[in-house]
Amino acid sequence: MDVIFDPEITKNIIEGSLIYSNLLVLLSIGLTITYITTAVPNFAQGSFAIFGSYIALTMLRLFGIHPYTSLPIAFIFGGLLGIAAYIFILRPLISRGASVVILMIATLAFDLILLGIIGSYSDTLATITRKSASKFTFIPTDFTILSFSASLFVSSLVIILILASLVTLLYKTKFGIALRASMENPALAEVMGVNVEHTRIFSWFLSGALAAMAGCLLPFKYEVVPSTGAIIIVSIFASSIVGGLSTIYGALLGGYIIGFSETSVTYGLSTIFGSGILLYGRVVSLLVLVATLILAPKGLTGVKWRRLLWSK
Amino acid sequence: MEAIAMEQIILNIALWFGLYTIVSLSLNIEYGFAGIPNFGRALAVLMGAFTVGGIMNRILMFFFGIQGGALTEATGQLASNVNGIIASNPAFGIGLIFLAVVLSMIVGAVTGALFILPSAKLSEDYLAITLLAISEVAFMVFYYHTGIIGGYYGVSVPDVFAFIPGQYRSHAFAVLALFFAAVVYIFVERLLNSPYGRLLRAMRENESVVEAMGKSVMILRIKTAAIGSSIAAIAGALFSLYSVNVIATSFSRVEWTFYPFLMVLLGGAGNNRGVVVGTFTFVLVKIMLTMYKYEIKSALMLPFEAVWLEYILFGLLMYFVLLYRPEGLIKERPIFTAPIKKVVAKIKHEVA
Repeated sequence: MDVIFDPEITKNIIEGSLIYSNLLVLLSIGLTITYITTAVPNFAQGSFAIFGSYIALTMLRLFGIHPYTSLPIAFIFGGLLGIAAYIFILRPLISRGASVVILMIATLAFDLILLGIIGSYSDTLATITRKSASKFTFIPTDFTILSFSASLFVSSLVIILILASLVTLLYKTKFGIALRASMENPALAEVMGVNVEHTRIFSWFLSGALAAMAGCLLPFKYEVVPSTGAIIIVSIFASSIVGGLSTIYGALLGGYIIGFSETSVTYGLSTIFGSGILLYGRVVSLLVLVATLILAPKGLTGVKWRRLLWSK
Repeated sequence: MEAIAMEQIILNIALWFGLYTIVSLSLNIEYGFAGIPNFGRALAVLMGAFTVGGIMNRILMFFFGIQGGALTEATGQLASNVNGIIASNPAFGIGLIFLAVVLSMIVGAVTGALFILPSAKLSEDYLAITLLAISEVAFMVFYYHTGIIGGYYGVSVPDVFAFIPGQYRSHAFAVLALFFAAVVYIFVERLLNSPYGRLLRAMRENESVVEAMGKSVMILRIKTAAIGSSIAAIAGALFSLYSVNVIATSFSRVEWTFYPFLMVLLGGAGNNRGVVVGTFTFVLVKIMLTMYKYEIKSALMLPFEAVWLEYILFGLLMYFVLLYRPEGLIKERPIFTAPIKKVVAKIKHEVA
């Protein structure tokens, strides 16, 4: 099979990979930050995103507001959902001394409840607007800037803004110091007078808010159905674990690795094995995940690179 | 009319009680006893269905010389041929049931051992994530790839009870499911009431102790996942034989991972009798919800499908079980082996 280098296709593939990676980074930062503060992997993270998608859809269908404009609204409502997940589902269980497995099952249960709510809402929205809401994209509403799709710029802008404000918050403010302290050693931070509860609530707010923003942008790239969350959760976990679940930088690194391997690498493989392979992007990210677990279970940021270099 | 409807409901409950008992007991070995949070239970069930739709079908196609064409059409033709033979020769149908069950147990055991391999050394949370990820990705591949079990078209499966008149077919399958559930129950009860079962409980409580005793947690996990998956695969095979077709969408995470977890936790993890009670309660509620979904929808004037309500309801039920009754309906009992009984008797004697 001839591999023809076509700049147009290459540009599109890289553009698509970048947008997708940006969204994965948003989702996995949220997953990682709640994992650090609460020590439970949130299996509902995917549905948090779809919750955001439906907020954007509602704004678009009912009020004609463009999804890019609803990003702040999604941020706030997503954040509230995150807080609700922590306060109503996890906190009562944690205070009863539930194990990690019980907490994980609780987030699975919350995921199912959320799926039920999103599904029933989508049917309700469809009856109100007389237009099916169980499968949708925002691609027709997107526009181009300098021959690139606007979602590339918007998602990159969101990432830059979020990272800049996170870094400022974590390293320049008193609350940030408290937050970092309670991430590294909650017991010690508590002794020093830090209210660990506040930092947990904050992390869940941030997690929900970032996921909902990612969900707002997701329909620009993929068709969204109420159960999309159950599928993208695999990629979110892969990003967080490949980067390393113990630091936020891990989510950043992992998001781009998984985002690119699911789109660009899969496309590269399809030029060798035929286009049928394009459907199986998630198999590639699963393989990356499994390889990471075997070679470096703590993720790429958990590897002591300096020691590794010295030992040779 | 009423009586027939009632009979159908009871048969439905019996069938699903049988199938789900097999799956939840298999999960109880892994989660309840060994403490392995297998969030990928659905994969083993799917492998059971794959055995029937993908392996047994191909063996039969080879013997009957059916080749070529899409898998969906070829299996359709195969099913009509084989049904004719089964109708005149019941032994062939019974033989197929046992072939399906034995094959699915082998396939299930191999997949179970393989799929836990990358994470067999990891902590519980990583283990759960990896198992869920593998199961979801496998589900997707089986759904998109039309060459395994027909992908989104699905494949047909011969009716193993083609010799039984149509109106008694559900009876036969209900009895079959209950029979296998009983066999699995006796097997699991005996398996776990052994040094192996006590070792599993020890691993659940403290892995370091098990390691210190010279047992490998990794090997133990692999073994347990193999046993659990091989049992769960039986349910997948039986369900495929019952529905006479196999399509990946019937093996979703909600139905075959989340619901089994709900049944195990509702009944009482680590306690087989409790799990059976939990399964029965769950199946009763679920069948009632499915039977009356249109009535519920119109009575509450819901502007949406009742299935969404089912998800919310079972999600909440799980949450309340975790919060208010984490030990389940029937609590796990302490182990009484012969030596312990002797010690207890001695203490009682001394006190008295």
